[in-house]
Amino acid sequence: MDQYLPIVLLLGLGLLFAAGSFVGSSLLGPAKKPTGAKIAPYECGIVPDHEPPQRFPVRFYLVAMIFIIFDIEIVFLYPWAVIFREIRVFGFVEVLVFAVVVFVAFLFLISNGALNWGPAKRLSEGMPSRTSDSTILRITATPSPPTSPERAA
Amino acid sequence: MRSLLDPTAHLRTLGALASSGDPLFVHGLNWQVWLIVAIKVLVAFSALLVSVMLMIWFERKVISDMQSRIGPNRAGPWGLLQTMADGIKLFFKEDLLPERADSFVFKLAPYLSLIPALLIFTVVPVGGVITVGSHTFELQVADPPIGILFVLAMSSIAVYGVMLAGWSSGSKYPLLGSVRASAQMISYEAALGMTVVTVVLISGSLSTRAIVDSQAAAFWDWNLIRLGFLPFIFFMIAITAELTRPPFDLTEAESELVGGFHTEYSSIRFALFFLAEFMNTITMSAVVVTLFFGGPDGPIPRFIPTAEIWMPVVWFLLKVLVFLFIYVWFRAALPRFRYDQLMDLGWKRLIPMTLGWLMIVAAIVVWHWWGLLVAVGVVAAAVLLNRAFAVGATREEEHAILPPVGQRVWALSASDSGSDVDAERGDEGGPR
Repeated sequence: MDQYLPIVLLLGLGLLFAAGSFVGSSLLGPAKKPTGAKIAPYECGIVPDHEPPQRFPVRFYLVAMIFIIFDIEIVFLYPWAVIFREIRVFGFVEVLVFAVVVFVAFLFLISNGALNWGPAKRLSEGMPSRTSDSTILRITATPSPPTSPERAA
Repeated sequence: MRSLLDPTAHLRTLGALASSGDPLFVHGLNWQVWLIVAIKVLVAFSALLVSVMLMIWFERKVISDMQSRIGPNRAGPWGLLQTMADGIKLFFKEDLLPERADSFVFKLAPYLSLIPALLIFTVVPVGGVITVGSHTFELQVADPPIGILFVLAMSSIAVYGVMLAGWSSGSKYPLLGSVRASAQMISYEAALGMTVVTVVLISGSLSTRAIVDSQAAAFWDWNLIRLGFLPFIFFMIAITAELTRPPFDLTEAESELVGGFHTEYSSIRFALFFLAEFMNTITMSAVVVTLFFGGPDGPIPRFIPTAEIWMPVVWFLLKVLVFLFIYVWFRAALPRFRYDQLMDLGWKRLIPMTLGWLMIVAAIVVWHWWGLLVAVGVVAAAVLLNRAFAVGATREEEHAILPPVGQRVWALSASDSGSDVDAERGDEGGPR
């Protein structure tokens, strides 16, 4: 374990440096005088009236889950790569089968559209031309029926 | 491919495996060993800090030249001390804690960014092996047997720094930036890991020193050429995305997210994030040089005394400098990706290509003709994949969730949407 000694030392030095900078900054910097405007979330001068979103598109979670498949594949590949020259043909065939299985799963994901991004493409299909009626219909909570349906459609 | 045919390559690799580790520690620890370790750590630490200072200056100066500007030129000769002036200024700024921030995580995040950036550099071989007195040691801070895995582990921890910084700020822009960043970083980590496996496959060891030694025989033994250029290109793309450097800098796209994950940070915490970012750029350039360009390998003019000690270090620094310039060049020349383009490149192009190339390289190591066979298989797989892309694109249209504007049921009237909810409940109740 001696080989890790310099890493531990550098870790200590790095922590010391970061902590020292905080101490130095608090000594050298001005006294903390937080005002409402200073500690409010920064939104380019606009007073924030919405909480930051709590929910995100499911794609982000999906990507994180699919990543696990490939991460596990890579975890298996490292030990194989290190001793590859000793196990040669046997190791190669094993990993080829493994890679084909993962690749088939990958094909399934792709053909299901699991890795497609961006809803913009869906919305552009078949969207009617925008008129003032359709906009009013879209943004008002209790809209009046469109005055000229053939224009809105 | 020469060494692949070399029957002794197998034995050489095993030898490298057996002798991995810094010879400094073979006689145990005494005060001289401690002293050498302490000097190594201190030199590496100060060299990193100074090189970050110079790197920021270099980036600003080169970008300025490329945009016909002058750039920093007031603080020190040619503006060299500009970064230091900026750093000192940040020490004198008020350290703000936003009201909605999670105070513990908010303060932890800069450490999580800075420490991995520092530690990655420890496993990079800077020079050859030198002897001082009775002690022989490698010009490299540490040489653990897991070498390159340590790099990957640390770069994974760095993701936490970015993610937690954005999440704990309690503000919109940092949150958006950090969600983008974490998705981007894990997407490219798969391709990155697969490329590193290709390198490990040919070098037969995880130790960075062994990887460099296996490339040292001649210029054409560099992994860049042995592995056929493509893994280097994959690695370069993946590592640029991991660093969130342009053209992959969606996490701090200034025009839409202000500053990305560090929008709410001020004073020295902000400075530490910047330090970590540029330190990562430097260490990752060093990792590229280690994996693909033979590290400190290069011709040594033996007629100059002591040249075999310092010349490898010069070669190493020159190679790293080339990559630092390339990163600045990327930033000046390339427009930013759109997010769906970024994800498509990572998942749909890089991952299958790195996997395919890994299989081809493995097959060639076993037997040439197998390589050809697997190459044919990879082409067939590419055709299948192309078909899958087409099928996936049609799925996208089928799953259209929003009816056209103006025909959305919930916008019509309250009674309509009420009956809609009832219908949904009925549907759910059906199977029960």
